[in-house]
Amino acid sequence: MNFESTLPPLPEGSVRLLRALAAVGGLIILAGVLFAPERIWPSLLLVTYFLVCTALAGAFFVALQYVAGAGWSVALRRVPETLAMLLPAAGAALILVLLARPSLYPWAVHDSAYVALQGFKALWLNRPFFLARAAVYLALWIGLALAIVRTSRRQDSDGAIEHTLRNEKLSAVFIVVFALTFWPAAFDWIMSLEPHWSSTIFGVYNFAGMFLSGLATIIVLTVWLERLGPLHGVLNDNHLHDLGRLLFAFSTFWAYIWFSQYMLIWYANFPEETVYYTRRLHGAWQPLFLLNFFLNWVVPFFILLMRASKRSATTLMRVAVFVLVGRWLDLYLMIVPPHAGDWPPFGVWEVGPAVAAVALGLLASFHYLRQAPIIPVRDPLLAESLAQSDTPKPSRVSAGSSKDFFQAGVG
Amino acid sequence: MSRRLLIGVFEREEDILNATRASRTLGYTLVDAYAPYAVHGLDEAMGLAPSRLPWVCFALGLAGAAFKVWFEFWTTSVNWPVNVGGKPWNSLPAFVPITFEVMVLTAGVSTVLAFLAVARLLPGRKARLPRARVTDDEFVLVLEESDAAFDVARVRRLLDGFNAVRIEERVEEA
Repeated sequence: MNFESTLPPLPEGSVRLLRALAAVGGLIILAGVLFAPERIWPSLLLVTYFLVCTALAGAFFVALQYVAGAGWSVALRRVPETLAMLLPAAGAALILVLLARPSLYPWAVHDSAYVALQGFKALWLNRPFFLARAAVYLALWIGLALAIVRTSRRQDSDGAIEHTLRNEKLSAVFIVVFALTFWPAAFDWIMSLEPHWSSTIFGVYNFAGMFLSGLATIIVLTVWLERLGPLHGVLNDNHLHDLGRLLFAFSTFWAYIWFSQYMLIWYANFPEETVYYTRRLHGAWQPLFLLNFFLNWVVPFFILLMRASKRSATTLMRVAVFVLVGRWLDLYLMIVPPHAGDWPPFGVWEVGPAVAAVALGLLASFHYLRQAPIIPVRDPLLAESLAQSDTPKPSRVSAGSSKDFFQAGVG
Repeated sequence: MSRRLLIGVFEREEDILNATRASRTLGYTLVDAYAPYAVHGLDEAMGLAPSRLPWVCFALGLAGAAFKVWFEFWTTSVNWPVNVGGKPWNSLPAFVPITFEVMVLTAGVSTVLAFLAVARLLPGRKARLPRARVTDDEFVLVLEESDAAFDVARVRRLLDGFNAVRIEERVEEA
C-alpha cells in the first residue's frame, strides 16, 4: 500500500460529464436570472447556503476530531478537509446572491404592503449591516478553517507533533467562533426571509441539518474514494460503523430539534408564530412537510438501527443519499414557501441550480483532494486509526515515529 | 465435576486475535478470552453469536412508548379530560416528549437489567479472572482440555507461535 499516493486524475469521461452538467446548470441559472428571477433566486440562495453549510460541516468535523483527540477518523480526515476547502468559493457564491437580489428579503425593499419592522429587528435588519455581518461570519470561518487544513497538510512533510498541538488550539477557537456566529448567520440568511416570524431554536435546527448533511457528504465521498481505490485497504467496516453511528445520532438530533420547534409553536399558538407552519401545512405543501421528516429521520433511523447496515458501505451510502435529498427538501421548505403560492414550485429552475451545485462541488472536491496525500501520512494518530482493523496490518509496525510519541506521552 | 484449562497470556491484541482464530480453526474448545478493553474483531474470532440485547432494548423501548401513549390518551381524554389552552383532548404533539422520555427509560433500564441477568452479575459476586493483569495490560485466552486427544505440547507450540508470554495449565473446580 502506498500511502504517499495522491488521488489519481479522474477518468476523462467523468470529468467531461461533470463539466457538461455544470455548464447546463449554469445556462439554466443564467436563463433563470433573465426570465424567471422570482423562481431562480430562492433556488440559488438554497444551493449556495447548502454548499456553505456542507463546507462548514467539513471544517466542524475536523475541528471536533482535533479537540476530542480522536484517532479513529484520521485516515479519512482528508475528506472533511476537502469540504472545508470549498468554503471560500461557496461563501463567495452566497455573498453574490445576497448582493444581487435584495428583494429576496421583504425587509430590504420598500413595499407599501409590507408592515415595517419595529424595535431591535428594525435596527438589526438593514442592508449595509446585513452584508457586513455576512462578510464577517464568512471571513472568520474561512480564515480558521483554511488555517486548520494548512497546518494538517504541513504535517505531511515533517510529521512534527507541533502541528497537531497547533490544530487542537485552532480547532477549539474555531468551534467557539462557529457556535457564536452560525446561529445569527442562519437567522440573517434564512429566518429573515419571513422577518415577522421568529423562532429562537432556529439556529440549532440549522446546525442539526448542516452537520447531518455534512456527515452524509463525508460518507458518500469516503465510500466513493474507497471504491475508487485510494482509500481501499485503509478503511474498513469499523470506520464505516463509526460514521454510521454519527449519522444515526445526528439524524435523531435533527428530528428532536425539528419536533421541538414545531411543538413549542403549536403549544403557544401565537398567530405570528403559527403562520410559519400554517403556510407549510396547507394543501400540497403538507406531503412535502411530512416527506422531510421521513427522509431525514424515519429512513436513516430505522435502517441504521441495525448494526449490519452501519457496517455496509452500500447501505450507508444509500442512506446518506436519502439524507442529502432530505436536506435539500428541508432547506426548500425553509426558503421557498414565502416566495411561492399554494403550489410548491418544482421544475427546471429548482433542478438546474442543484445540478450545477453538485457538479461544481464534486469538481472542486477532486481538485482539492489532489492537492495533498489522500491520507494524513505523518499524523501521530494515524497508527491508531489504521489499527481500527479486524485484520492487523503490517503497516502498523512501520509507523515507528508515532509509536515512540505514544510511549513518551505515557511515561 | 472439574475441568482442565490451558491458559495463554499475550501482550499484544494482534497476538490474541490470531491465537484465538487459529485455536478455533483447529477445533479447540474456547472457554473465554480476556482483554483490558474491547478488542475489535475478538468476538468474531471467538465465533460468538451476535448479542441479543439490542432486541430486548428495541422491544421494551417500543412497549414503553406504546404504554405511555395509551396512558396519556387515557388520562387526558378518557378518565379526566382537562382543557389545556383550547387544544383537543387527544393532542398527540403534547404526548411526544414524555413518550420519548419513557421510551428511553424503559429501553435503557431494561437493557441493563437484561445484561445483568444474562451475565449473572449480581451484587456481591466475586470477579473470576484468570490473571489480575487482564484488567490492565494483558490479554488471556482460556482453552479447555476437552478430551484425551488434547495434546498440551502441540497447543503450547501453537500459542508460542503467537508470542504467548506465559502458558499455564489449571484445574477449575465447578
